[in-house]
Amino acid sequence: MSTHSEKSAPLLAARGLTKTHGRTPALRGASVELHAGEILAVTGASGSGKSTLLHCLAGIVRPDEGSVVYGGTRLDRLPEKRLSELRRTDFGVVFQFGQLIPELTALDNVALPLLLAGASRGEAHRRAGEWLERFGVLGQKELRPGEMSGGQAQRVSLARALVTGPKVVFADEPTGALDSLSGEQVMSALVHTAREARTAVLLITHDAQVAAYADREVQLRDGAVVPLGVAA
Amino acid sequence: MTFATSDLRTAWLLTRGSDRREWSRVALTAVGAGLATGFGLGATVLASTSGRYRVPLAAGLLDEPGTRSGVMLGLTLLLVPVLGFLSQCARIGAVHRDRRLAGLRLAGATAGQVRRIAALESGLACLVGSAVATVLFVLFLRDLTEDPPGFVWAGIALVAVAVPVLGALVSALALRRVVASPLGWVRRVRPAARRGPGAWFLVAALVLLLAGLLMTRDPFGGYATASVTVFVVVVLTCVGAVWLTGAASRLSARLLTARTGRPDVLIAAERLREDPWAAARTHAAVLLVTVVGTGFMGVRHALLRDLNEREPRMPAADMTYYTTGIDLAGAAVLVALAITLSGLAVGAAESLATRRRGLAAQAAAGVPRTVLSRALLLETALPLAPAVLLAGVGGMTIGVWYGVVVGGADWSVPYEALLVPVAVYVLSMLAAATSLPLLRRTLRPAELRYA
Amino acid sequence: MIGMSTRHILLGLLAGGPSHGYDLKRRHDERFPQARPLAYGQVYTTLQRLVRDGLAEVEGTDSDGGPERTMYRSTDDGARELAGWAAEIAPPAPFVTNEIFAKVVVSILSGGDPAAYLREQRAAHMARMRELTSVKTAPNTDLATVLSADYALNHLDADLRWMNTTAARLTTLTAEVDAS
Repeated sequence: MSTHSEKSAPLLAARGLTKTHGRTPALRGASVELHAGEILAVTGASGSGKSTLLHCLAGIVRPDEGSVVYGGTRLDRLPEKRLSELRRTDFGVVFQFGQLIPELTALDNVALPLLLAGASRGEAHRRAGEWLERFGVLGQKELRPGEMSGGQAQRVSLARALVTGPKVVFADEPTGALDSLSGEQVMSALVHTAREARTAVLLITHDAQVAAYADREVQLRDGAVVPLGVAA
Repeated sequence: MTFATSDLRTAWLLTRGSDRREWSRVALTAVGAGLATGFGLGATVLASTSGRYRVPLAAGLLDEPGTRSGVMLGLTLLLVPVLGFLSQCARIGAVHRDRRLAGLRLAGATAGQVRRIAALESGLACLVGSAVATVLFVLFLRDLTEDPPGFVWAGIALVAVAVPVLGALVSALALRRVVASPLGWVRRVRPAARRGPGAWFLVAALVLLLAGLLMTRDPFGGYATASVTVFVVVVLTCVGAVWLTGAASRLSARLLTARTGRPDVLIAAERLREDPWAAARTHAAVLLVTVVGTGFMGVRHALLRDLNEREPRMPAADMTYYTTGIDLAGAAVLVALAITLSGLAVGAAESLATRRRGLAAQAAAGVPRTVLSRALLLETALPLAPAVLLAGVGGMTIGVWYGVVVGGADWSVPYEALLVPVAVYVLSMLAAATSLPLLRRTLRPAELRYA
Repeated sequence: MIGMSTRHILLGLLAGGPSHGYDLKRRHDERFPQARPLAYGQVYTTLQRLVRDGLAEVEGTDSDGGPERTMYRSTDDGARELAGWAAEIAPPAPFVTNEIFAKVVVSILSGGDPAAYLREQRAAHMARMRELTSVKTAPNTDLATVLSADYALNHLDADLRWMNTTAARLTTLTAEVDAS
């Protein structure tokens, strides 16, 4: 799988990222490349800088130094308004929890990105319903996140992240709060859909069995990439 | 005694180690307690004086027992918005505090200890406020009279002690669920409090109203005096407006969630549908001020009209006496409005702070800040509109009725009273908007890092 | 698969009805996809031993147009033996032969680079885990395959976790090995 990384230009590339939270360094010169349609796992111990790396790549956080290039654009130089738009149109995010609005039903949560993009309520609901069905949670469409199981809520989150047809999905410990069986369902749903739609996935996890769903693995230690983490 | 000292030490340790939000709760609680003490002391001192005095204040309004009663009632009624303000302050960092107390319980503290520690925490904050207010008040009083009699001092001491004691009692009472189920409260992230429309607040307001009426043994001087009817109208309108807030929240939420295609409206409406009474609870004091304010403007209109007619036949000193009375009442309404709006701003800020992680996640997912800001304002705007309208109508009724009583066939419509509900609505929106800078800070990705 | 007996597995496969050696081998490999495939020779010797011990018997021969095959079936004794075996708990392994640990220690003793070895080993484990995961998640995979892939994945994951903690403690381990 590492073969195609040499052929084409990467979809998203970070070079020499450094980022310090207060006085704690989170990233010290991390470089990562993500290719179109590729599923990349970023692993490492707690505090190794995994989440900060994801935040920098997704344009949520601006790195102190280094560059993030997405499709030829320097994300680290874009104004916040453009970044927000990009996150809405080209990226999808799945966190461990918290990305669903607690007061909205599953259907409205998934429809939200479409409404933001200007779709009508009916059209947004129709497409949101299709995605819920795809992830096997259509039966829960009228429920609010607090009324669903963790696994169901995460599948709704996946639907919300994928409903706009993003180029990249950023998943930060998407199975972190789930038991292994629910985690497996969420991961295979994510991987299948991403492969079908040729969506690239940046997957943050500390769990090797979750990382094994990816095509490739990058290991972080103390805010930098461990050499030879890549499968030979 | 060792019990008490160890609890005091724990309370102090917890207060010292708490974060900025807890400190702001302590500070705002102290301010609220200070205001309560100030108004309470004023009313008490007035109640303990009888007969005629010469008080070099407010154009001689405090000289006569009759008008003194009016001022006293006004001061007592000012406690209502103060209570509303304090109840908003108690919400600051409430989730965090409840978890911490439940943690104490898990660590082996008895239910009694937890209650005492919590009571001490808020009691201390109230004590600071009450002490400062008492000292200032006594200095002010010494300026006015050489030597107040002993029972005045007793009254002052009583109020100064009662405020912190009541604060401690109320917070101990509010914690009974935390004490009862420590595990449940550690795990639960959002307290699902869905009580009625601020029942406690209404009860407290009624009690204060009755107390005020009892304290004013002497009838009001001057014009047609305070009638029970007025109070009944005020109370009924308030209850109606609070109920309407809840009902309107529920109805507008249901209609909007079914139809709207705008994400900001959708988010605001769904939040209202989830807890329609939350808005009613928060806005109860706003509605009370609207009723009283609108009514006052009507009364003022009628009184001034009447005074202007009589002016040629009246000495100038008497004229000032009456206008000062009206201005003083107006000032009291404004003070009440200011306190209420502060409470609203505090409540809006707290509601944001509680949801900060989720909001940061929304921003990370690309939901524009403008959408989140508009949703935040709509949450206040949607339920408040019909309620303020009803409150305005109620106040207007009082005003017009008073105008008819005073002026007879010669009454006129107090158009300026119509400005009150509009102004209150606009000011409430501005108060809610004060939390927008906080929203900006909340949406920073650093909030994503910790739950 | 220490302790796992081919004779019991064959008895288990025969419990469904008479079958011949080739068919048994095929069904075994299908049912236990992550296990080492059975050799024909092993199947036939095992079947003959089962007949000798009275646990199975010859049912007859069947040519079915091709070469002649001997059909076997389970006896009552065989069914009893199978039931006893299936109900018996597997003893938790008292000794685990840990090749990776041995290599780390040898590497320290001989002045090699145990950290580099662990990294390479980790990469190899991850590669195998990715393979197993893609087998598991391929469309229309039957549950037996998923479960046996899971079994392997969990064991590899255990190795991996051990390697991670060991890598983090290599300095202390080196000091200890060098001291003794």
